[in-house]
Amino acid sequence: MTDEILELEEEEYTSNLTAPVFWRIFGLLKPHWKWVLGFLVTIALVSSMDAYFTYLNKQIVDQGIKLNDFDRVIEIAWMYGSFLLFQAAFIFIFIYLAGVLGERVQYDLRKMLFNHLQDLSLSYYAQNAVGRLIARVTSDTGRVSDLVTWGIVDSVWAIMNITTSLIFMAIINWRLAIIVSVIIPLMMFVATKFQKYILVEFRQSRRANSKITGAYNENIQGVRVVKALGREDENLVEFQQLTTRMYRASYRAAWLSALFLPTVQIIAAIALGAIVWYGGVQIQIGLITIGGIQAFVSYLTFMMWPVQDLARVYAEMQHSIASAERIFKLVDTPPDVHNRSDAIEAKTLLGEIEFDHVDFFYEDRKSVLKDFTLKVKPGETIALVGPTGGGKSTIVNLLCRFYEPNNGVIRINGHDYMDYTLESIHNKIGIVLQTPHLFSGTVRENIRYGNLSANDAEVEEAAKIAGAHDFIVTLEKSYEQNVGESGNLLSVGQKQLISLARAVLAKPELFIMDEATSSVDTLTEALIQRGMEALMKGRTSFVIAHRLSTIRRADRIIVIENGTIAEHGTHAELLRQRGHYYRLYTQQFRHELEVAYGVTEEIEGNERANVTADSIMVRRETAGEEAVAAD
Amino acid sequence: MTTTTSPYFDFRDALHPNRLVGLWRMMTDFRVSYIAATASLAISALAKTSVYLLLRFFADDVLGKGAMLGTSMTQTFLWIGLGFILLALVEGGGAFLSGRFAAYTAEGITRRLRDFLFDHIQRLSFSYHSATPTGDLIERVTSDVDALRRFFSEQAIGVGRIILLFVINWVAILYINVKLGLLSVVVIPPILWVSLWFFKKVTKAYEEYQAQEALLSTTLQENLTGVRVVKAFARQDYEKTKFEKDNWGKYLKGKLLLLMHSLFWPLSDIVLGAQMLFGFVYAAFMAINGEITVGDYVAYVGLVVWLIFPIRNLGRTIVQTSTGMVSYARLMDITKQAREPLTDGSIQPTGPARGEIEFKNVGFIYSDGTHDVIKDISFHVKPGQSIALLGSTGSGKTSMVNLLPRFHDYTSGQILLDGVELKDYPRKYLREQIGIVQQEPFLFSRSIRENILYGVGRSVTTEEIEAAAKAAAVHDVILTFPDGYNTIVGEKGVTLSGGQKQRVTIARTILKNPRILILDDSTSSVDTETEASIRDALNSLMENRTTFIIAHRIQSVMKADLILVLDKGQVIQKGDHEELLKQFGGMYRKIYDIQTRIDEELEQEIARVN
Repeated sequence: MTDEILELEEEEYTSNLTAPVFWRIFGLLKPHWKWVLGFLVTIALVSSMDAYFTYLNKQIVDQGIKLNDFDRVIEIAWMYGSFLLFQAAFIFIFIYLAGVLGERVQYDLRKMLFNHLQDLSLSYYAQNAVGRLIARVTSDTGRVSDLVTWGIVDSVWAIMNITTSLIFMAIINWRLAIIVSVIIPLMMFVATKFQKYILVEFRQSRRANSKITGAYNENIQGVRVVKALGREDENLVEFQQLTTRMYRASYRAAWLSALFLPTVQIIAAIALGAIVWYGGVQIQIGLITIGGIQAFVSYLTFMMWPVQDLARVYAEMQHSIASAERIFKLVDTPPDVHNRSDAIEAKTLLGEIEFDHVDFFYEDRKSVLKDFTLKVKPGETIALVGPTGGGKSTIVNLLCRFYEPNNGVIRINGHDYMDYTLESIHNKIGIVLQTPHLFSGTVRENIRYGNLSANDAEVEEAAKIAGAHDFIVTLEKSYEQNVGESGNLLSVGQKQLISLARAVLAKPELFIMDEATSSVDTLTEALIQRGMEALMKGRTSFVIAHRLSTIRRADRIIVIENGTIAEHGTHAELLRQRGHYYRLYTQQFRHELEVAYGVTEEIEGNERANVTADSIMVRRETAGEEAVAAD
Repeated sequence: MTTTTSPYFDFRDALHPNRLVGLWRMMTDFRVSYIAATASLAISALAKTSVYLLLRFFADDVLGKGAMLGTSMTQTFLWIGLGFILLALVEGGGAFLSGRFAAYTAEGITRRLRDFLFDHIQRLSFSYHSATPTGDLIERVTSDVDALRRFFSEQAIGVGRIILLFVINWVAILYINVKLGLLSVVVIPPILWVSLWFFKKVTKAYEEYQAQEALLSTTLQENLTGVRVVKAFARQDYEKTKFEKDNWGKYLKGKLLLLMHSLFWPLSDIVLGAQMLFGFVYAAFMAINGEITVGDYVAYVGLVVWLIFPIRNLGRTIVQTSTGMVSYARLMDITKQAREPLTDGSIQPTGPARGEIEFKNVGFIYSDGTHDVIKDISFHVKPGQSIALLGSTGSGKTSMVNLLPRFHDYTSGQILLDGVELKDYPRKYLREQIGIVQQEPFLFSRSIRENILYGVGRSVTTEEIEAAAKAAAVHDVILTFPDGYNTIVGEKGVTLSGGQKQRVTIARTILKNPRILILDDSTSSVDTETEASIRDALNSLMENRTTFIIAHRIQSVMKADLILVLDKGQVIQKGDHEELLKQFGGMYRKIYDIQTRIDEELEQEIARVN
């Protein structure tokens, strides 16, 4: 599923305001209470002035024109003019305060969420699609900050406007004001209903829209298949069903919106008709003036704006509250893996590493690792091999303490590694993932990620050791070359070399590598091998291995199947057993030699094209799911 | 031609170098409703203006001169009250109709534009698709289409609305008093100019704000997808700082944007307010001097608001229309590309092909003309025979088979199918006759059943589908999925392995039942065990069909009736397995030797450890 669909589904949720959530939402404004006070006061003033201007217009007619009083007109004009200036100043203040505060609240929320996400464990990522997390930080924060700024501004403006208008109307003629006050609830009711219907249609059309985008995407990516199977006509018919759905929803949303204001206005006009009729009678008995009637016309004509604003805020509020609840839920989630209260610094990881009867299962409780026991001497290189889903990645995840064992103990230097601080473990680990992950920025910045205090010379030295230097200098801007979003401007092999250099720069004591299964060209492959060799020297290494050279070089090979050790020993020992390892090895041997002799074609080009295409859809799927599925 | 469920419009008819003309042509069939939208708007605006004129009548004639409608004053008031309600109905009705017509126009044009683009893109040539990144196309068919929708629904009608309001109210004021009318619009030209200038600036600032938001999203996404790297290097604090920088940057950009808005609106309020106030005072003096009536004054006060304030938004709308123009041009770039004519051909065969194929000195050069992809290829295949193509990357194997369904057209020589030149056949017919199992299987995100049925183009029973799946050795796998054949590919964590995908596409090909089969290295992306089951499936598929096999292993090609060894686009060896093996020094023999040697080396290696 795509982000957009996830997000749309979440938007369907509404929540009613409960006291704790209410206080928490408005608690966000507490540090900025002066700003809130500032825009509350100014918007209230602006709103009442609007009502007052209409009243002044009435005064011009009744006290100026009707009485032929030039001086009174001038007097009122002065008042009018100075109020205009004041109002402009207040408008400036409230737009600025409310708007900037909105940005500020959004900034605060995003910072809070992002920082908390950094602390959450991998298990959280495994259960929550990246798309959802992104929606939390981007759209949910937007909705909440809108609610506490523009939502308040609009409501205060609307309520003040209606109230002050009613007060002035009551001053002009209280009987007529009563007619108006009777129809306001009716207008509100109708407006709110409309807003809800419009919102529903609007969401429908957005949902259809994201399906349309999906259909475009798939048809363009699969255009060769479409052509080969000659399915153009049927595809068009299917697509037309989508666009027709979209058409219906957006057309309905549009004409409902077009119907909304006129309906509210007609309700107001009925009141106006009543007032003119009844007011006319009153004019004759001198209870109301022509200026008064004119003021009522004005008040009623402009009454639709506050009504519309209130209805909109009300319709959106429940969705914003649901957004706030989702944000709070994320922030309230404690990390599964965290430092124990008496955790100590791990001095070194270069000691014996021991898995002692370790059991592990993910959320679905299906056991991944059963009674796993392994002792590794410092400096040893361990190759993990075996079928997909056997538990290799889980061992690595546990070793990095991305997860902690459900049963059993992992010891480093004889100490339960849960006694150590996470930072002191992670500081000493170098990791290279199967699908290398780079960040936007330059090559240099990406390598420096391994050690932020490294100088340029050290970065280049690391690149040389990793075998990345040679290709980097051929790039147009060398180390300052931009790698693109997630490193997409580089090939898979190049990304791998850079992530190796990054690990080299970290000078780890424990090196962990998940070898890529996808093939890269022979030259790059050789470079990667050499880089790995350099990295493994003098360190304890765990490699999820696919390449023969890596496997052969390992001190020990562990064949993992169904969460347990199926076979272990050296290359020669295992070959002699003619078991699982033998089968894996001969298959890989044949394949690699075929590549080496140029008989088999490596399909890197194709694969990469596919990866990019898929990534448009798949990128949104969970990183966590990948972590689990990669196992 | 195409069967359609909704109106289909060929947007190639809307191509025009002048964008305004082009946009006008896009409105074909919708012009009447667009004009109706504008007319309704005019009626609505007239009704609004009439409210104030009715008020004037009420003040001057009824209250001032005691004119009566009906028999009594009370009745007169009732009529006038009803008049207000009636005008509101007309005004509201007009506004509603205008909105509805505008929506009909905009949504209607957009729907058929989407349909057209979808269809057009899937009918563009292979070369076009190879050269155009997916992301770019998607961006155009989504954002640019939406920009055009907004052009038709908001901007085109919005400019009309503001101008109509202005003209009608101005005429009404001029009718009340010419001098007053002229004095009330002094400020209009400068405010229009300033608002144009401001919205240009603000649009730019907003784009920067959006760009910063995009940057922030990228940082966020890279952080979340790279969570293992972040944690493994313990870079949480570094990431926080990086995010903080982008987040704060966005805050600052937002602040600037708000500063612009918070200055523009009140400042323009002052200018417009001053103009309005000046009008009020002047009109009040005129009323006191008797140049205009009280009713004139009251009507003027109401009308002038609608004259002055909408002008501010005209600048915004005009600036936005330029977005629509740019999008028009970007979409027409796609529209003007030539389609593959699917049904064109000098013969229209009715029955299935026999499958006899002859290549006579066939050559193919890409349109950029840089190098020969294949050249001078000649061979002959009888119906039902199999022919294997062996060669390294870039040797032209895939390009050669791509000529058969006319994905590309050969540039020299002749290809004959059943004795008739390939270019005489309609592409559609050829593609019906040819089944392709591609190297990288592509499944659509729909159910497995629909994927098997994809492109079969006839009604098929459940038994037939399952029989095809069984023949492709994928039936049992499908039954292990939670929803069986109804499982949606790629949903709820159902991911098919490469081999499973491949077998689904084989089942699809079995159902299609083509006369000619192309197997493009169909087993290269799967492991040995899967390879064996796929090969079985393929062998049954190949029976009685002319088959082209692209492969890299001697094992996969040795049974072929004819083997072509390709190098740099040319056939360097031709014959069957036995013949080619005898040609010592030839490429075929070399590859054969290598593969034998590999087996020997493996034996040696194992012997060594023993």
